Amino acid sequence: MSMRSQIYEWDGSRGTAIAAAQAGSRHSIFIGGYGNNISKPAETTATQFVVVEDIAVTPSAFGSSLDTAAYRGYTTANGVAGPRAFIQVRINTTDYFLDPDNVGNDGIPGTSSPYPRSINWQPSFSLYPDVYVLPGQVWDALVTFYNSTLYASLQAFCKYTLYDGPDALIANKLLEMGISINPGNVDWYKRTLIQSQSAVAPTA
Amino acid sequence: MSMRSQVYEWANLAPTGSTSALRRATDDVPVTLSINTEYDVFIGGIGNNITKPAETTATQFIVIEDIACTPILGGALQVRINTTDYFQNPDVTDMVGVPGLASPYPRGSASTSGGTDNLLKSFDLYPDIYVLPGQVFQILYSQRTAMTAADTEVVAAFCKYTLYDGPDALIANKLLELGVTINPNNVDWYKRTLIEQQQRSRVAAVASNGGSA
Repeated sequence: MSMRSQIYEWDGSRGTAIAAAQAGSRHSIFIGGYGNNISKPAETTATQFVVVEDIAVTPSAFGSSLDTAAYRGYTTANGVAGPRAFIQVRINTTDYFLDPDNVGNDGIPGTSSPYPRSINWQPSFSLYPDVYVLPGQVWDALVTFYNSTLYASLQAFCKYTLYDGPDALIANKLLEMGISINPGNVDWYKRTLIQSQSAVAPTA
Repeated sequence: MSMRSQVYEWANLAPTGSTSALRRATDDVPVTLSINTEYDVFIGGIGNNITKPAETTATQFIVIEDIACTPILGGALQVRINTTDYFQNPDVTDMVGVPGLASPYPRGSASTSGGTDNLLKSFDLYPDIYVLPGQVFQILYSQRTAMTAADTEVVAAFCKYTLYDGPDALIANKLLELGVTINPNNVDWYKRTLIEQQQRSRVAAVASNGGSA
């Protein structure tokens, strides 16, 4: 199986729990030192190709400056119920999401791409076109939150497809051809190769 | 990566004592807005702002795919390209734009502050809005119900767009000339067409040379 659907869930309350002191700064969900982490930076080998298809983080709701009661499961501070969290994707040293002045921003608001989703929390954002991590690149997902009174429930989610071996080569070929990389198109390319081989065979 | 999905979120939150900031901070508090006033979410001087007006360079093309705002207080969003408002009344007069009740942010939010209902979107921005190379664009938030300084609600706006840069912006322009909708699929389709044309002309050149390259 050289095309595999993968997910990574980060929970800020696991391991060394993220705390109010970390509010306002970026933390990697892979190697940031808070919550559950992995052993080394997320990177692709020379024979791997990763397509990030969805990212999401804990959402927030907007209310009134006088609100203090919990709203939809989150405590409220300064009129925001929830951690006021954002998630940015970084490829090598480049931030993917920019403001219109071409300055890197905090990334996708959890309010537009909530995790988990529910009736109260529905997505406004879909990651299309997908984010491609080419062979040999390092990638990261960075969480920032600003509501320092609510960090315990901070969670993030990333869905990606890992293409390995021959399928990674095909993914590179599709990229050269300007074709979206997804399992359907990789299979289509394989079928095209097989068809062209079998078309040549009778005349040989 | 010359086609990139981008978002911009604005809220009337700024550090205590100021009305706007370039960076979000942990001590942000809501800023009181005036009724029936249009606030540019990029450089309007309220909430989180950016360093300069939102504009495309000569090698950029932007397709705005979704706009939404908080439905409370009669919030609405207008898009302005250069000096022209996108949403108009049937008599071609000015209007506030898309109401937050029709395109709520966040989706599933309540229609009133602290409410329990879940709003779904009635509005879909289709066809998309194109910002051509060299154009300036604004997204303007306004509200039709007053907030008080004592009880200031947090209001927010959201914009999802795709930024085409470099060669992909040229292709986007070409698609516009051809009358084809600009989206990542069609840009890829145009690239494939170019590659196929090149391959065909190479084969034709070889054939015209008697089979030698």
